[in-house]
Amino acid sequence: MGSTTSVAGQRQHAHHFKNGREEFEACKQGMWIFLVTEVLFFSGLFLAYAILRVFYPEMVAAAHHELDWKMGGLNTVVLLISSWTMARAVSAAQRGQAQKVVSFLLATFICAGIFMCVKYMEYSHKIHEGLLPGSLFSFKDLLSVDKVGLFFSVYFVMTGIHGLHVLIGMGLILWIMKRASRNEFGPNYFTPVEMLGLYWHFVDLVWIYLFPLLYLVS
Amino acid sequence: MSHHDHHEGHHHVLSDSTALKTILALLSLTVITVAIARVDLGVLNFPVAMFVASVKAVIVCSIFMGLKYENRENTVIFSTSLLFMLIFFILTFGDLLTRGDVYVKGQIIPAELQAAGPSKFSKPWIESPEIIAHGKGLFAAQCTSCHGDGGAGNGPAAAGLNPKPRNFTVGEGWKNGRKGSQIFGTLTKGLNTMPAFGSLPSEDRWALAHYVRTLGPHSAEKDSDADLAKVGVDPNQEGGGGSAEKSIPLEAAIEILSES
Ligand code: HEC
Repeated sequence: MGSTTSVAGQRQHAHHFKNGREEFEACKQGMWIFLVTEVLFFSGLFLAYAILRVFYPEMVAAAHHELDWKMGGLNTVVLLISSWTMARAVSAAQRGQAQKVVSFLLATFICAGIFMCVKYMEYSHKIHEGLLPGSLFSFKDLLSVDKVGLFFSVYFVMTGIHGLHVLIGMGLILWIMKRASRNEFGPNYFTPVEMLGLYWHFVDLVWIYLFPLLYLVS
Repeated sequence: MSHHDHHEGHHHVLSDSTALKTILALLSLTVITVAIARVDLGVLNFPVAMFVASVKAVIVCSIFMGLKYENRENTVIFSTSLLFMLIFFILTFGDLLTRGDVYVKGQIIPAELQAAGPSKFSKPWIESPEIIAHGKGLFAAQCTSCHGDGGAGNGPAAAGLNPKPRNFTVGEGWKNGRKGSQIFGTLTKGLNTMPAFGSLPSEDRWALAHYVRTLGPHSAEKDSDADLAKVGVDPNQEGGGGSAEKSIPLEAAIEILSES
């Protein structure tokens, strides 16, 4: 964006916009369109999952028992709370409370960190047990279940790509935190915080579906 | 920028108390999701879980993401993604669930061959004129491209193959052997460039084995009970011995999806 930034969220909008409001709305619409592409991206994975469920219902039912719903549930709670702290960070930015923006973003970052730690524990447990994708699958109790490795292919790809989104989000949070601490945002300019919020809530949204689909099928 | 200021409407700021109520609602719904999963609602489990997840998703979108507080444009934009997702699902399942033909590792087995229906042969490992006739039909459809019409190993596709397809009219040079159970084994597992036909119902594989034996010199070698046991057949029990895969292998389905 070809505009300059000054103190406390006072900022000249780019010359091709009528005013700052219009620029904000345009950015936000662009963000929503990006989120549409994200839904389509994930929908391929959800489709793969649906095919598994339709063609191998017994296999999916047997395999999901190896996922720990307590871990999944904990991560659901952690991500929801992080959405809340993110929403508070956006409101604080709109009110020009730089210190609060930084604190709430830090809280969000910590939640994201907890999420990744839990994921790490889950992954290492699965790798250790041989609950792995496709032909790598070597978990003895389920070896007799036909095509069981496919469930873990879908599990690792879906949660892996979601986890990648979390990691990218963590990077973005750090960046926006730094900008907030420089007092860049205020009532007239908080676009980056808002966009980060939309992205982060979307990551939460995906997990809201992944949790019951992967951990709670019955 | 003062002359533009009257264009700049007021941004909605989410109040702290609304944010708090929202997160409490979301957490309660998560508890409900987990609780419901532990109760058996039969077929309802899945729709209920998806319904609760969707309620949560709507709350996140409308309040945290603010769709509720702005004009409809972004809601419409985001909804289109769900519409396209629906089309994606409907077209894929409309296709996958209505295929008469079954795909096996990139090769198509026509419906009339894989839909053998209820078993016609109670003990298919026993040679009979009927099962040989059945095998003849299968052979013409599945094997002649490589092995030739008369089974001499001179089908149109044979030229490009190394090793060459077996010549069934001679008794020598068989790697796995000419007994019924041995040919059955070859068909189940494949042999080098000879593809596996394990996806055919086992009685079809037996029928092919019996037919292939008629193409060469008469062989007195018969299957012993031990030979039959090697390919999973209990001679005292009726049934095909070894099962066929009736469903579409998923790898094949995914392959097809990724190609399109
Ligand atoms: C893609 C070409 C191809 C098709 C189709 C094919 N075969 Fe073969 N088949 C071969 C080749 C090549 C060999 C020789 C493999 C070798 O010597 O390693 C062979 C070998 C065999 C053998 C001999 C195995 C042995 O013990 O040496 C049998 C029996 C056989 N095929 C049966 C069949 C039947 C029955 C069908 C139809 C259901 C069929 N084949 C379809 C290529 C084919």
